[in-house]
Amino acid sequence: MERQEIMTRVKKVVSQVLKTNGEIRDDANFIFDLGADSVQSVMLVAAFEEEFGIDMEEDKALHVQTVSDAADFIAGYLKD
Amino acid sequence: MTEPNKSPRKILDQIFYPQSIAVVGATRVPGTVPYDIVLNILNTDFQGIVYPVSPKEKFIAGVKAFRYVLDIPDPVDLAVIVFPSSVAHMALEQCGQKGIKSVVIISAGFKEVGEEGLQRERRIKEIADKYGIALIGPNCLGVINTDPAVKLNASFARKMPEEGSIGFLSQSGALCTAVLDYARAKHIGFSKFVSFGNKADINEIDLLNYLRDDPKTKVILVYLEEISDGRALMETARNIIRTSGKPVLAIKSGRTAEGASAAASHTGSLAGSDEVVEAAFRQAGILRSENIEHMFNEAIALAYQPLPRGNRVAIITNAGGPGVLTTDATVREGLKLAAFSEETTELFKKSLPKTANIKNPVDVIGDARADRYRIAISQAIHDPGVDGVFVILTPQSMTDIDSIAREVCRVSETKEKPLYASFMGEADVAAGIDILQRNKIPHYILPESMAKAFAAAYRFASYKEERVSEHRETGRLDAAGARALLDRAVQAGRKVLTEFDAVKVLELYGLPVLRNGLAASREEAGRIADRIGYPVVMKIMSDEIIHKFDVQGVVLNVQSRKGAMDAYDQMLSNAARLRPDAHIDGVLVTPMLSGGEELILGIKRDPSFGPVILFGLGGIFVELYRDVTFCVAPVDPAKAGDMVRGIKAAGILTGARGRPLRDTRAVEACIVSLSRLAVDCPQISELDINPLIVLNEKEGCFVADAKIMLQTG
Repeated sequence: MERQEIMTRVKKVVSQVLKTNGEIRDDANFIFDLGADSVQSVMLVAAFEEEFGIDMEEDKALHVQTVSDAADFIAGYLKD
Repeated sequence: MTEPNKSPRKILDQIFYPQSIAVVGATRVPGTVPYDIVLNILNTDFQGIVYPVSPKEKFIAGVKAFRYVLDIPDPVDLAVIVFPSSVAHMALEQCGQKGIKSVVIISAGFKEVGEEGLQRERRIKEIADKYGIALIGPNCLGVINTDPAVKLNASFARKMPEEGSIGFLSQSGALCTAVLDYARAKHIGFSKFVSFGNKADINEIDLLNYLRDDPKTKVILVYLEEISDGRALMETARNIIRTSGKPVLAIKSGRTAEGASAAASHTGSLAGSDEVVEAAFRQAGILRSENIEHMFNEAIALAYQPLPRGNRVAIITNAGGPGVLTTDATVREGLKLAAFSEETTELFKKSLPKTANIKNPVDVIGDARADRYRIAISQAIHDPGVDGVFVILTPQSMTDIDSIAREVCRVSETKEKPLYASFMGEADVAAGIDILQRNKIPHYILPESMAKAFAAAYRFASYKEERVSEHRETGRLDAAGARALLDRAVQAGRKVLTEFDAVKVLELYGLPVLRNGLAASREEAGRIADRIGYPVVMKIMSDEIIHKFDVQGVVLNVQSRKGAMDAYDQMLSNAARLRPDAHIDGVLVTPMLSGGEELILGIKRDPSFGPVILFGLGGIFVELYRDVTFCVAPVDPAKAGDMVRGIKAAGILTGARGRPLRDTRAVEACIVSLSRLAVDCPQISELDINPLIVLNEKEGCFVADAKIMLQTG
């Protein structure tokens, strides 16, 4: 899957889970810019897994801070 | 602290007296820290503007929210960051860009959680330094200022405390909430209340200095878990007491003896970290409290009432038993029962019933009502031989408790002398106690607590009057020579000095040592022994042999030249057999003293407080009774006197039960000299003089054995 497609789908998931309005920047921080709390962070991980059909390592996934880093992190799983 | 061009007072004023606050990372979820802090600021009628900052919310608790702190159109004095630790640095960076100079980081997840948190804490400190931000926290409860001019509760404590004159500083946030709850029930008010958490930037010293100059604060309380700079703490406390007269009370938790077991000397093993804290606090005039209740018992006495000018107490009671209990507690705390003047006694005779006991403790009898209490208290408090009054009440059927409480408050209004009360019981006396507490009369359920609090107030009053005594020169001093000897030993990689060298260092610092000589041959041993005079003591010298007895390297009571020569051969042969690897420097020959008392003096280097001096009875007493006193160096002659008189067995030196008076002045001079050595020579890690033999008055004292351990690495 192309990185651009991953990024688009990541932003779609983020928008749904965090109920954000308007454009989401690539470098947006889930907590600082998008207001994710701890429960929403876990929900995001689950939603990414469902969207991409992957099983991520939760501890590492929760350390991912930005939209761009999430796309890279997911791309790593898709490559495997 | 940051921003060297701005005075610390000015910077902290912005934290305690902000005109505008941004709560960065606020949410709309009730029961969470980010929400409760916004609500607390609003609910306490804060006299400024609040700006919630939230990436998602448009408003919080009815107040317009901003996405970023940079979006706030007006200047902001104080930011309270409640974002999780992983992004706190981003919030702080934006605060810096916004020009906010004061920040409180409430969030946890920094150095207290390990390496990753430590890195985060370093990062926020770097950002704070870059922008000149004064930072409280992270990992704290927040700050409270009850001053009506600001009414600030930027914390997640449940309720704003009452306004009062006690300033409270705490390293623990959780303890703060318990303290606030405890205080509220007793109507104890606060001026400032600060939880400073991990103290990444602003620490207890900065805050103590701020409270020193705070006109709303009369008494300062501090709870510490670790002391990073003990000497600075001591100096700050001394300065507060000297310049503002405000008492400082402290709880230092963690009274464990870790580290002491690894010590190589007697002094090291006796001076555990808690003993050093105890000694240092006492020296600095800090009143150390065992627990929160103890601390507030003393704090209210100091905050509400004048300091006692002496330790003579009058007790007014309506029951004999409690009067006796109070008397016992009073005497146990080192206080005295006041002896009333003839005039007061006459007044008591005229105004109290015949059945009343008009001697101290004054028993106004069980049927006493408010008028009788008033007369007794007023007459006692005006007696020139009385320094303070304890009022005891037990609830009997005819006791008008509330009226008596109000009379106590009325008499106390003059604030001429301290007046404390103990209304004993619980349910029946509750309303009376409430009257006392609301009117700032120190109240204690137990007379023992009352006596303890008075004793603490008296101790503080006495400390305030103390003056540092002048330094007395003690003997010849060649500090440069001593330092050179120690430097050479350190450079040679030695961990311990031989007794010969250790004694030399002490001699160069003016301590009295015995004539001695180091023999490198059988013949030389004989010659030195002849010169010194018999009997002599001979000891093997090697910096590789610390315990000389283990290699049969000590011979006592050598009576002749031949004996000295034979002993020399014997000791060398023993050492060769038992420690063939050890290099032997020779055999030390010294006179054998008889009589005198064996004492111990020592130095230990504490990680927080630096060099500490120990004094006690030597020989077996050190091991058996641990009867020792400590002082942080330097020690002046007055403090040296306190150390000598401070051991339980001081009477052994001062003529108890017909024993000879020993030369304690000579011992005090040794303590002063040793403390100078400790301060001047960081090469010394630990030192024991054991024994120091003190002779009769005016005959002096002598170092009979000494051990010096050197700093390595």
